[in-house]
Amino acid sequence: MNPRPKAVLVPPLLLVLTLLPLLLMPLGAIFVFAGRAGLPGLIATLSQPDAQFALRFSLLIAFGTAVVNGILGTFAAYVLSKYRFRGREALNIVVNLPVAIPTVVVGTSLLLLWGPIGLLGQLLDPLGIQPMFAPAGVLLAHLFVTFPYMLGAVKPVLDELEMTYEEAAYTIGASRWQTFRHIILPALRGGMLSGLLMTFAHSLGEFGATVMVSGNLRLRTQTAPLFIFAQFEAGNIEAANAVAAVLALISFAIFMLLQWATQRRSGRVS
Amino acid sequence: MSIILTDLTARYGADTVVNCVSLEIADGELFVLLGGSGSGKSTILRMIAGLMPLAAGRVEIDGRDVTNLPPQQRDTGFVFQNYSVFQHMTVAQNVEFGLRIRRVASSDRRRRSTELLDQVGLGGLGARFPDQLSGGQLQRVALARALAYEPTVLLLDEPFSALDVKIRAQLRQSLKEIQRQLGVTTILVTHDQEEAFELADRIAVIERGFLVEVDTPAALYHKPRTEFAATFVGGGNVLVGRMEGGHMRLGSVTLPLPPDAPPHEEDDSVRLLFRPETVYADAKLPSQQQGIHVLGEGSVCDEIFSGSQQRLRLEMRGFEGVRSLAPPPPYGRRIFYIDAVRISDPAAGPVGVELGQRVWVGLSRYHVLDPTGLKVLIACAETPAGQAAAAFGGLVARAAAGPTTLLAVAEPERMTAARDHLEGLRRRWPGGPSLRLTSKVRLGVAATEVLTEAQEGDYELVVLGRQREGLGAVAQQILQRTETPVLLVQETPSQIARILVCTAAGEPGKSDVRFGGRIARRTGAAVKVLHIAHPDAASWQHRRAEQHMAAAQAVLDGLGVEAETQIEEQRTPELVPAIVAEAQAGDYDLLVIGAPTWRHPARLRWTDFATQILRSTARPVLIVPMAT
Repeated sequence: MNPRPKAVLVPPLLLVLTLLPLLLMPLGAIFVFAGRAGLPGLIATLSQPDAQFALRFSLLIAFGTAVVNGILGTFAAYVLSKYRFRGREALNIVVNLPVAIPTVVVGTSLLLLWGPIGLLGQLLDPLGIQPMFAPAGVLLAHLFVTFPYMLGAVKPVLDELEMTYEEAAYTIGASRWQTFRHIILPALRGGMLSGLLMTFAHSLGEFGATVMVSGNLRLRTQTAPLFIFAQFEAGNIEAANAVAAVLALISFAIFMLLQWATQRRSGRVS
Repeated sequence: MSIILTDLTARYGADTVVNCVSLEIADGELFVLLGGSGSGKSTILRMIAGLMPLAAGRVEIDGRDVTNLPPQQRDTGFVFQNYSVFQHMTVAQNVEFGLRIRRVASSDRRRRSTELLDQVGLGGLGARFPDQLSGGQLQRVALARALAYEPTVLLLDEPFSALDVKIRAQLRQSLKEIQRQLGVTTILVTHDQEEAFELADRIAVIERGFLVEVDTPAALYHKPRTEFAATFVGGGNVLVGRMEGGHMRLGSVTLPLPPDAPPHEEDDSVRLLFRPETVYADAKLPSQQQGIHVLGEGSVCDEIFSGSQQRLRLEMRGFEGVRSLAPPPPYGRRIFYIDAVRISDPAAGPVGVELGQRVWVGLSRYHVLDPTGLKVLIACAETPAGQAAAAFGGLVARAAAGPTTLLAVAEPERMTAARDHLEGLRRRWPGGPSLRLTSKVRLGVAATEVLTEAQEGDYELVVLGRQREGLGAVAQQILQRTETPVLLVQETPSQIARILVCTAAGEPGKSDVRFGGRIARRTGAAVKVLHIAHPDAASWQHRRAEQHMAAAQAVLDGLGVEAETQIEEQRTPELVPAIVAEAQAGDYDLLVIGAPTWRHPARLRWTDFATQILRSTARPVLIVPMAT
């Protein structure tokens, strides 16, 4: 028995109504405010050197983070999935910990390690090396915060990839490296793509840890989210919104890519 | 020889999963490893391929010792149960992978893969991706991939188990054809005996990590040596009778020992195998010309018609002293079953034999399995006496060459400790662990549990540790209720070189001489039979004793045992000191005394006698109940 066509529409309608003030309207607000000065205004705001730098710096850091964590996370996933050793369980928890720790705490702890009076920082300081309040510090913070995403996307795929695929390659004559290159890596493609996109997206939006370690230095360490916050506080709502709109658009694009990647993967399996 | 395995041993943690397996597989042979799940058959295959480390042993492929080589350098083709066809490569790329690794030119690769795909029946599907193929097709891809680089040996691990019956049959057929064409030495692992029979040139039966038997399918079916192979391979009936006067006795029926049967001694148990198709079951008594050995009458308790044949289960009763090993007899009833098959005969009417009908049951052919040796139970308590029982029991069990069970009894909370204790014993067992050595932990009180196990397990010898006080309740109960010989151990001699059989107690027995003789034959020990005569004995009693000693000498000579007999006059009022004096003088490692049956009037006096013997010597004493 089919319910009457109109009744079927009631629960989806209710859901949309609930989500309207929670999700949809805030997203819309960004574009409404950003577009208030018209397209020329938007372009003018975006062509300010500060805004330009913030966006470019954010994209660069996000790219760097995705590359480094892409490699590191895949390596970690491979080790944690394929090797049995003492303390594996503990290590598994440790590498996933960054998701659970508040990002501000991450920033603080990085300062306490690398800062001028930090554990390692005070040894480096006399050598003129100062990772904190510098682009390197921002990268370090982002690597920390986004580490679990690559791991989380790749390890389940590796766990499900049965040992026999590798063994088959070995008996056929492929070395460990050839097996990784020709058998494992291709099987991980989908997982790696979504891991990379997740890492990139999270790095792009990172705020809590960045604000602690960057010192929020204009044209030096100011990322796009920090720029938005600073402009907003200074009352330049338009400038803040313009950059926010760009960030939101990039995020949408990444999200679409992710959807496409996962769909393609599940499509192949079935 | 293409593949030579020597003492292959594998461990997972503390568990030994493959135990000293040695095999030789000839060039071009299709060899099947057959066993249940967890028997270690796949592990053997993985060890050959280099995918599982060896704890001990050696693998030789084509004259090359590959024991320490990685899988890449062993030149094997491996087909996995789950196919493991690479999902991101096309069928052709999968097949060519081995050639690509070997840097073969792409045109040659293409030619080879096309040729192989044609051969496995996948011509024209090279450009497909694996997710566009069925399970059977994937298995063919896996086979082609494993053959592409022309490996020395082809290894297949349960290749057809995930496929449905029809496709399985097709694939079997094509595997056999391809294997014949290429002549590649092949080892296939399976739990499916039908598959093994259809494919194999030879089959190795594997159980609990041990190699049970290797032979051609026909020999394994018709003339297996072990009970395991007999019951694992094909449906079979196995009955246990006894040797008597050179014939097999099954209740009131005697059957001649076939000329090719392994040698059995008088009074040994004999295991008789006959397949359902050799069973005669009909309302008519078979005629003389048919050459059928009639067992007796049975009734049809189950009947299945399957077109070409009619399968019957026959219920047999009234066979005194006969045990059935297969099909399993019903619990607690003195009957056993025989499975039979009749060829369908349309002339005989709609049904050949009906349910509940009484029929004559006979055998047209039968086969005798290898003798098992004595079935021994050793109670391994964690006390000094228990340790002694385990140590000396080990010597005797090794000599008896039969299935041995190590038993520990523990409170529930000590269960794990008891198991570890037995595992330790098993590992240090003289001659190493074997399929015939099992361990068992029972929960509860030692006295009752040992007795229950002795009663339930059908043992032929029970070994117990003892204190010096005497016979002990457990030994007495076992002798009384099961009439199984009991070996009581306090101190352990390092060997069994000299055995003293005392026939002084009342009636001169036959069982004790024979039992002592069997142990002596297997250990190479010298036996002395001692009879202590009463000074007032009548002359007929003397004559009887002399006759008995002559008979004992004959029995022992027949067993090929170095033996002497002696009749000694009793000088002291008590028997025991004379026996103990002789035991000391001759430095015997084992004393054997007979025990009268429970209802015998001399029973009480005997108990007293046995207690005295046990109190005055620390040597192992074997008590053998008289045959009734």
